Amino acid sequence: MLESTSRPIARLMILLVLSSWSAVSMAHAEVGVAGGLLSGLMHPIYGPDHLLAMVAVGLWGAQLGTPAIYLLPITFPVVMALGGLLGVAGMPLPFIEVGIALSALALGAMVAANLRPPLWIAAALVGLFAIFHGHAHGTEMPDAANPLAYGIGFIISTGLLHLTGILIGLMIRWPIGALAIRVCGAVISGFGLFFMASSTGLA
Amino acid sequence: MSRINTLLRSGLPLLVLLVPESAHAHLVSTRFGEFYSGLLHPLTTLVHLVPWLALAMFASMQGKAFARRSLPLFPLAVAFGVLLGISFGGLQSLLIPNILSFVVLGGLVALSYPLPRAVGLTAVVLFAISHGYANGDVDLADGSLTLYVAGVTTAAYLVVALGAGAAVAISERAAWGQIALRALGSWILAAGLIYGGFELMGVSGA
Repeated sequence: MLESTSRPIARLMILLVLSSWSAVSMAHAEVGVAGGLLSGLMHPIYGPDHLLAMVAVGLWGAQLGTPAIYLLPITFPVVMALGGLLGVAGMPLPFIEVGIALSALALGAMVAANLRPPLWIAAALVGLFAIFHGHAHGTEMPDAANPLAYGIGFIISTGLLHLTGILIGLMIRWPIGALAIRVCGAVISGFGLFFMASSTGLA
Repeated sequence: MSRINTLLRSGLPLLVLLVPESAHAHLVSTRFGEFYSGLLHPLTTLVHLVPWLALAMFASMQGKAFARRSLPLFPLAVAFGVLLGISFGGLQSLLIPNILSFVVLGGLVALSYPLPRAVGLTAVVLFAISHGYANGDVDLADGSLTLYVAGVTTAAYLVVALGAGAAVAISERAAWGQIALRALGSWILAAGLIYGGFELMGVSGA
């Protein structure tokens, strides 16, 4: 049963990895749709604070189970887009770097502690952090080679990072896997603490 | 034998990914050039391609009967829109419906929201005319109108047929299929919000 459901997912992941190779070949073509899409796809991946927080959302969703496992990753991009609009509009958001670092710290801690708040609290917390992440992406959007392609790129990238977290989180069905996920959460939280110290000038 | 099947199944999508490479052929300079121009315009323009894919997913989520009705209806309405665009061009205010199509279709897919059939099909037709009209904003050589319209119409049929077909297959064969479609819908909704805000704030470029 597990084998039959994991095969298509494995194939899909292999296909995604292979298809991303063609994007690498366009490395220095930061023009037009391809350039905008590539920079959008890469923006969340080049920022380790973004990357870890996105994966943490997926991990936490997997830990909380249905419906959070799909509700959090579906909610996040939409709220992130609203945050992106604030960035596009040039509206300042105070403590943005601190907010992003705090998202990795807090979400990692939630996973590490295996906390299970009511769904609306989890969604509100994830949504709050999504605004900070979206704002950071949005401020770079007007300078992108193709803004729409950039927007689509960072949303796809964010979604795939959530999916990565969910796929890792599927280990929860085994006791050792559940423990490994909590360790992942602790590591993410530790990095979040480091990012927080960096953004406040303490490290 | 099963290994050959697996190789074929894995290899075919990769071959499909390579297809855009062949789009650089010089057919545009042949007498069928306007057909390929019409075919590639919506397929290489995110403002059209993304909502069209959303429409294909939306049609599949409304049920097979709805999707089957959309198959001829959507391309024909697109063709009508292109003819309108070529005949009565210059309507700039279509930006708003196109932005709305991103947001509304993405939202409907994300929510997996069922619409009454008549309302849904009317929305499909209006959406198709609007996007067809936007594709009609071209300068065509004499006598190439039919080829261009045929190209855009073919693209519309391909996107809705392949998109809806894939969506139905995924949602029927995989337990996570419906969730995947809804997640994609939320991505399109998010992209629409970003695109709409960006355009309406007067910083065009998409």
